[in-house]
Amino acid sequence: MNSPIDKVIIEPLREVARKLVAFLPSLLTGLVVFAAGLLLAWLIKLLVIRILKLFKLDAAFSRTGVTEALQKMTVKDTPAKLIGRTFFWLVTFIFFILALKVMKVPVIDQLLEKLLLFLPNIFIALLILAIGWLLGNFLGRTALIASVNSGVKLAGQVSQGVKGLIMVFAFVMAFEQLGIGRQTMIAAFAIAFGGAVLALALAFGLGGKDLARKYLEKRFKRNGEEAEPDDLKHI
Amino acid sequence: MTQDPSIAVASGPTIAAGLEEVDILVGIPSFNNARTIGHVVRAVEAGLHKYFPGRRSILVNSDGGSTDGTADVVREASADLDSILLDSRVGGFRKLVAPYHGVPGKGSAFRTVFDIARELKAKACAVVDSDLRSITPEWIELLVKPVLEEGYDYVSPLYARHKYDGTITNSIVYPLTRTLYGKRIRQPIGGDFGFSGRLASFYLEKDVWQSDVARFGIDIWMTTTALANGFRICQSYLGAKIHDAKDPGADLSAMLHQVVGSVFDLMEEYAPVWKGVAGSKPVETYGFVYSVGLEPIHVNVDRMIEMFRLGVKDLGPFYESFLPPDVLSFLADLGRADRKDFAYADAAWVRTIMSFALACHAKTVSREHIIKSLTPLYLGRVASFVLETWDCTADEVERRLEDLCLAFEREKGYLVERWNP
Repeated sequence: MNSPIDKVIIEPLREVARKLVAFLPSLLTGLVVFAAGLLLAWLIKLLVIRILKLFKLDAAFSRTGVTEALQKMTVKDTPAKLIGRTFFWLVTFIFFILALKVMKVPVIDQLLEKLLLFLPNIFIALLILAIGWLLGNFLGRTALIASVNSGVKLAGQVSQGVKGLIMVFAFVMAFEQLGIGRQTMIAAFAIAFGGAVLALALAFGLGGKDLARKYLEKRFKRNGEEAEPDDLKHI
Repeated sequence: MTQDPSIAVASGPTIAAGLEEVDILVGIPSFNNARTIGHVVRAVEAGLHKYFPGRRSILVNSDGGSTDGTADVVREASADLDSILLDSRVGGFRKLVAPYHGVPGKGSAFRTVFDIARELKAKACAVVDSDLRSITPEWIELLVKPVLEEGYDYVSPLYARHKYDGTITNSIVYPLTRTLYGKRIRQPIGGDFGFSGRLASFYLEKDVWQSDVARFGIDIWMTTTALANGFRICQSYLGAKIHDAKDPGADLSAMLHQVVGSVFDLMEEYAPVWKGVAGSKPVETYGFVYSVGLEPIHVNVDRMIEMFRLGVKDLGPFYESFLPPDVLSFLADLGRADRKDFAYADAAWVRTIMSFALACHAKTVSREHIIKSLTPLYLGRVASFVLETWDCTADEVERRLEDLCLAFEREKGYLVERWNP
């Protein structure tokens, strides 16, 4: 006859041990799958980097300002290495999920199912952010050069403004894709954007009315009517 | 109204079908130039009658779809030969109004001229701008005769200009073209040229007619193509060039992008040619050279220096991605200099231009961004040059430009070494 101690302590422990022993093959299989995934991810990373270097992707990214932006964010890797590294983590993540599947734990299965259904949204949101970032850098630099060449003293701020605006757009779109506070994000963006425009209009109209007048005069006056014409012929 | 038999209106692929072969062809590209083209047509007609009597000649107006009656002005314009003491019209002179097709731009207009020159087997050709106010019949003689009688393939114009006219030509295009190809063509983007029928056919064979050459880069392309392919080149002194202001809407950075971008593009194509060239040689010059007066002009040097400083401050981090440390350090120092010490030295300017060319070649950053970011540095250089030469005569300024060209030639090794390391 079982003593109360057996019933309360020993039996549950035996049960746990039994379950652990039964789970052990799945755990080992999972670990093997994960290890194989790590190896494969490492090989894929090397392959991707080699292919990207072959196609001179680093030079192409430099042209669009990506490398410069990465350096500013203290990312020391080249874009090719960065993409290779992304592939490494992607493959590792896939094999991690596979390993969890192999282990056949019901709770994890349910969580994984939900995660997998949501994964495309995460991917698209990240893609939107990446494109926004690239576009922001490129157009920010375009605005900077155009502003400097037009003699705008706040050229740096204009550039940052363009870059920031594009990133805000990208974030709003990414959040919308993820379904996070969909209505709130759009409303917040509309309010912030409208507010900024109104504030600028007021500031320019009230604080800088002389500047506005001069600007409009300069903009719409025909050649020859400007105060100090420059007779220099560049061509 | 009866149509003058010497005037034809043509269109379609075989534009000059049915016309007789000619000895001389003069092309005038146009787009809404009704105000000025009449004078140009009269000068060309008078020039052909006066200097090439007995020769069969044709004037081709290659028009980009003008809506202001340019074609009517061309048809109706006729030189008053009595006023230039010519008794009669000898030889065969015809006019052809030929609308061009394809990419809108001066290059496409020239392509039509080359096409007709080939069809009519023209021996010598010339092209002149339709907005010229200072063209005289002598221009036609000076552009055509070296081809027809001296065997040259390309005649580049030489103008009498104010010492501060053509600052992009003087500070970048002339010294760089001379250094690269070894020939001292003073106005490589002059706009009015003479060329042989052989060279016109050669131009037509090139596959550039859908590129920027068709839009705006035709002048430097024609000169460089002739230089790099070993055609016989000379220049003719035409005197003063007075014309309507070119594209007043175009801003300086767009101009720099077009002109400097075209020179850099051609450097890519002809790298094997220019890498082997050392030093430079003068080319034969025709025409009676004289100086023009130096009327005072207004130059806002302070504004240019201010633009330079703004560029160095705000574009500094961008310059760091492609300019070498010595140039960056020089720019930083110059950005802090007062007006009285403001001097963009020749050596530093040469290094700057070569670094921009190398950056465009390496394609490490967007090419348009690189070239447009040259604008504040160019203004700094112009400001420095104006400060230095304010009291100089035109001849003294020309000697200063010679020094700059020699500085470019001395630094050519720097460019060659880094082009394909």
